[in-house]
Amino acid sequence: MSRNGVCIRTQHLNKTFGSIRAIHDLNLEVLEGSRFGFLGPNGAGKTTTVRILSGLLAQTSGTGTVCGLDITTQREEIKAVTGLLPETPGLYSKLSAVEFLEFIGALNGYARDALHRRIDHLLAILGLESRQDDLLESYSSGMKQKVLVASTLLHEPKLVFLDEPASRLDPAASALVKELILALAEETATSFFVCTHQTSFAEDVCDVIGIIIDGQLVTKGSPQEIIAAAKAANLEKAYLKIVGGKIDRQALLAWRA
Amino acid sequence: MTCKWFALTKAEYLVLTSSLRPRRALWMSLLLVFGIFWAIFLAPLLVGTMFDSALSLTMVRALLLVMFPGLMRTVMLFLFMLMLLMPLSYSLQEIKIGQWEIFFSNNVCTRDILIGTFLGKVPVYGLIVLFVAPPLLAVFLLAFEVSLIGQGLIYGTLLLMVVTTLWLSNFVTAMIQAKLGDSPRGNDIAKGLAMLIALVIIGPMYGLMFFAPQLSSLLGLNVFLVFPFTWPADVISWLAITFNGLNLTGVQIAAFQSILQFDLMTSGLLLITFSGACLGIGLISADRIFTFRMGARTETITTIQGENFLLRSIRRAVPGAFGSLLVTSMKDFFRKAQNLSRIAYGLILALIMPFLLSTIATIDDVDTNIAMLALVTGVGMILIGSITFAGTGFLESKDQLWIIQSAPHGASRYVKARLALAFLVLLPLTFIPVLLTAVLNQLPFIVSCGLLIYSYAIGCGAAMFATGLTALNPHFEDTKSPEHIMNLMISMMTPQFLMMSPFLLILLGAATEVPINRILVSLFGWFGEASTWAITAAIPLLVVSGLMVLLGTRWLGQPEY
Repeated sequence: MSRNGVCIRTQHLNKTFGSIRAIHDLNLEVLEGSRFGFLGPNGAGKTTTVRILSGLLAQTSGTGTVCGLDITTQREEIKAVTGLLPETPGLYSKLSAVEFLEFIGALNGYARDALHRRIDHLLAILGLESRQDDLLESYSSGMKQKVLVASTLLHEPKLVFLDEPASRLDPAASALVKELILALAEETATSFFVCTHQTSFAEDVCDVIGIIIDGQLVTKGSPQEIIAAAKAANLEKAYLKIVGGKIDRQALLAWRA
Repeated sequence: MTCKWFALTKAEYLVLTSSLRPRRALWMSLLLVFGIFWAIFLAPLLVGTMFDSALSLTMVRALLLVMFPGLMRTVMLFLFMLMLLMPLSYSLQEIKIGQWEIFFSNNVCTRDILIGTFLGKVPVYGLIVLFVAPPLLAVFLLAFEVSLIGQGLIYGTLLLMVVTTLWLSNFVTAMIQAKLGDSPRGNDIAKGLAMLIALVIIGPMYGLMFFAPQLSSLLGLNVFLVFPFTWPADVISWLAITFNGLNLTGVQIAAFQSILQFDLMTSGLLLITFSGACLGIGLISADRIFTFRMGARTETITTIQGENFLLRSIRRAVPGAFGSLLVTSMKDFFRKAQNLSRIAYGLILALIMPFLLSTIATIDDVDTNIAMLALVTGVGMILIGSITFAGTGFLESKDQLWIIQSAPHGASRYVKARLALAFLVLLPLTFIPVLLTAVLNQLPFIVSCGLLIYSYAIGCGAAMFATGLTALNPHFEDTKSPEHIMNLMISMMTPQFLMMSPFLLILLGAATEVPINRILVSLFGWFGEASTWAITAAIPLLVVSGLMVLLGTRWLGQPEY
């Protein structure tokens, strides 16, 4: 699948939207079987990176491979071995959870009979079996997120891109997704590329963290290495030190004058 | 402290004029000034010049005077419909539940919403009328040589009618939204209603026009006198008569009286009473009879039962991943009220078409008759295919597109499933009109079969074109976007143009002296000229539509740059 155990490799990757530079000279290496956490402030380029790596967006310049496949010439092959959980849910409101997962399975070339046992198991794990035949329009945002998580894992991808996987989940569901990621990574050697704002989620789940600011990778290492390098108490404080998240209390209340 | 309704008025006005955003005040002022100039000077000048160049106004004046009251009612009916349906359909298509949450969190009452959204619409719809009405009225104002005071009063009456109709439309919209719009399901039903609303209102109107004489004799008076659009029309007619510059005689005025029946005072009072009643009912019922609030009225949870016979049969006939994709696409398509409305449109067209066609087939030459039937059926099938499938139910959002694209060859599989769905839906929508046409025109069996195949091919061609174009230029669920309007227009116009290929070929043959007609007949004329015509019309449409599908699929599947 990949060479030298490397799952993702990018070289001088750039992406611009008109005058806006979303990604700037990104050189990234993610090892097979690892759980890579991609942290950064809003608009830093996390989602753009995921979309390029999953074959949905073309880069402006630079090269890269995903699971040993070229991101410029082998996009369809990349899609076959990866799963993507998008940042915002794009579910079909008039399908039930089972029907939506059947739809996603069929898009990936799976017939219904081969899918149904897998769908039932995934919905049971995510605690949705009692609502699995209800239309998705009546689901809460957390439930929709769970359905999306199931759709991402349905075809057993080798590499899973998760864009803000826990942003809409309650603590219990978030813990469940964490355990699911850890179990899949340990038992099936599935690799994970997790974009998130939640440093605690990244600290619990990821073995390697990369921090991106203004499209540039500014630091990479294990959570402990990043905390130590920043001389901080935990990953959140280290993250704030790196991205410059100092808060001025006076300025916060100035608007009331 | 600013009134809440005023904040809503401002927001509604800003939304409706968002396309003029960089210089909103300047553009709106310019439009208003130009509109007044257009109404008072330019439109009468243009209409007068047009009439004088074609027919002398003095020659047609007598005719215009006779037609005036009836035509004025028609003009008012048109404006009444425009002002009632346009805002209603527009509002129902876009119920923003998120906005409601903001309203409720700021303690805004239903009456504020009603007044605010109405007043916000007045400038834009007022401008529309300012530009639409003068060309319609100018010819009569010229014919009657109406004085400036008379013109002012006429436009004042028109303004009252427009404002009343807009208020009525806003009131009806608010009531429907209050009942439906606070959930995704309600929003879906509202979108479906937005599509059907024209049929619901225009259908009975046509029926009324058709059966007006019988109704009139039943009621003992002209039935149109009980409709609100008649009163402003008659007030305008009386104002034109009263302020005329022709010195109409007493006999002539008495003749108008016998046509209009109600005098100026009665029509005026009826109009003012109607306007006052609309305003009063709206203000009194808001917060009493209907109230905007978040609730569980339409937030019902729909649980899916087992699959029906049709879906099970499709699964058996098309096993594997494609069958699953087709079945789930069908479920998604048929559960949306908006799509059902479109199919209803198609079905109504399919039912009306054969009756219209039966009036065409009156020429003695049988072959020409069949060719004419094929031509008109083809045009009807294009409308059915494009209205039903141009852009709707294709993709709900960009996020949905990402999901489809993230599957290998996902876009291609998706488009194929959508096309298969369209071909299935078109089967009954083709069979019904062709069967009725065959029965009404007593067509031979073999010709009926030929017409069925041809009509189905044309319908599928139109659906393919519409699907391909929507894939090429997706607009998601936004039916008010320029993309949707463009897709719908191009999907309806291009296939009709392609169907005209036989005529173009005949013209080309005439110009180049190549016997193209004879070549085509020798190639396709198995059943005479009609089959030549039908096949020559269908082939270019199917080829271009096939290319459009390929292009659209390729575009939809490629990464964004």
